[in-house]
Amino acid sequence: MAWYNTVGKDADTVISSRVRLARNINGYPFASKLDASGANELIEKISAPLEQAGFRKINFADISPIMATSYVERHYVSPEFATKESPRALLLQEQGGIAVMVCEEDHLRIQSILPGLSLEEAYKNASRVERRLDEEFDFAYSEQFGYLTHCPTNLGTGMRASVMMFLPALTRGGYMDSLASQLSKIGLTVRGLFGEGSGAAGCMYQISNQVTLGITEEETLKKLNDAIAQISESERKARKSITGETLEQLTDTILRAEGTLRYAYRMSSGEFIRLFADVRFGIALGIVKDISYEQLGTLLVEAMPATLTLSSENTPKSEAARDKLRAQKIQNTLNPHRE
Amino acid sequence: MLCEKCKKRTATVFYNENINGKTRSYSLCGECAAKLREKGELQDITSMIGSFADPFSQLHDQFFSGFFGMPTVKSIPSAKKCPVCGSTYADIAENGKVGCPTCYSTFGDELAGLIQSVHGTTSHTGSVPSRHRAMKEKKEKLTQLKQELQEAVQKEQFERAAELRDEIKSLEAPAEQEGN
Repeated sequence: MAWYNTVGKDADTVISSRVRLARNINGYPFASKLDASGANELIEKISAPLEQAGFRKINFADISPIMATSYVERHYVSPEFATKESPRALLLQEQGGIAVMVCEEDHLRIQSILPGLSLEEAYKNASRVERRLDEEFDFAYSEQFGYLTHCPTNLGTGMRASVMMFLPALTRGGYMDSLASQLSKIGLTVRGLFGEGSGAAGCMYQISNQVTLGITEEETLKKLNDAIAQISESERKARKSITGETLEQLTDTILRAEGTLRYAYRMSSGEFIRLFADVRFGIALGIVKDISYEQLGTLLVEAMPATLTLSSENTPKSEAARDKLRAQKIQNTLNPHRE
Repeated sequence: MLCEKCKKRTATVFYNENINGKTRSYSLCGECAAKLREKGELQDITSMIGSFADPFSQLHDQFFSGFFGMPTVKSIPSAKKCPVCGSTYADIAENGKVGCPTCYSTFGDELAGLIQSVHGTTSHTGSVPSRHRAMKEKKEKLTQLKQELQEAVQKEQFERAAELRDEIKSLEAPAEQEGN
């Protein structure tokens, strides 16, 4: 089962956790300086032990742009990886959400994505694959700078750990800017997801470590975990502080969102994200009772444009047709017994 | 990181200077950089790139790669090329990305300022590839033995010192043959 079909720890505030390790192999220039034959050679070499270990190889030169985008929507590859033109491959093991991008910016981007707050487990998964490849390959490394990466911002551990948080009460309260500036002081960054600029529409934020050099993997994970625990507490407090007329109004907004999500005939992805956030907030507050985090989590991937289009036998020909398909997909997921 | 002059404000100006092959990097806050410029101690300030308001305000990798750019090497542009991939420092500065692993040793001095400014340090403390683990352990052992040797000499324990010296020699010899 894919990571987005299940629910994890602290689901009220955390959607997913991800750890990725950047590695390069000595004897080859970094990906942007690597010619096609070098890249293909590297892909062959790296794929062999991973395919043996049960990974599925997806050669990105051979798949359609829409299929490539669908892998972005499932958080297995970066948007840059999906759209670049040079040879590249994804090695995927859906169990454990383990995805290895070969020839992205670095030769190897080994990542594990899991539902809920699960950084240690994600690190363990990524690290296990990394150790397996370490036996086989001579990773570029210097004692001073650690693992050598294409971009100096990834030097050291080459590890980026990130947690996708759902923070509707802090967003409504206008606390996100000050949270971002506090986090930056301890070397963490916040990025809004699914929205223009601040990402306020979906109330979803990715919190990750900025620094990778001079700090161990364990220290990084602890720092991030501690911060996530604090942010979750603040969010929960902010939720509890909504009372009286404000809560009445919010309840009305949430139930209207649930109604629209369940019964709309057409829905754009922008509207979906807004309603998603309201309804998810409603589940956390106990206002929405018959929709689960799992159902919504699944939709957060399956109602996205590329994945949605691929799920239909008849490719929608227009935006309106796609919006209709999205509304159907949502209905089928939320109202499984409705004809 | 803090400004190296006032040690109070956050450094927002990063600057490498290369004169007759000697590199020096500065990490300054805007105010100290302006003062130094007035005094004429920081010349040709227009050749600096790394001036930005808040190092974490843009919150993403892309910020540092490309847009932020690298500290420029002032005066005497070096014609040095990476022996493996042929990159020059100008190439690296232009797109914010390094050409190959060897670039880090070729341009270590030039890159140190940038690395310091991004990470607040230039030395790694995390995990180590298996191939380097033995070497790392050996280095740690050597450091420890050398310290013991010094102590033995100070305490005039010359027999012990002689033993330690032999042990150090035997550890160092194969390391040199391996050529690091």
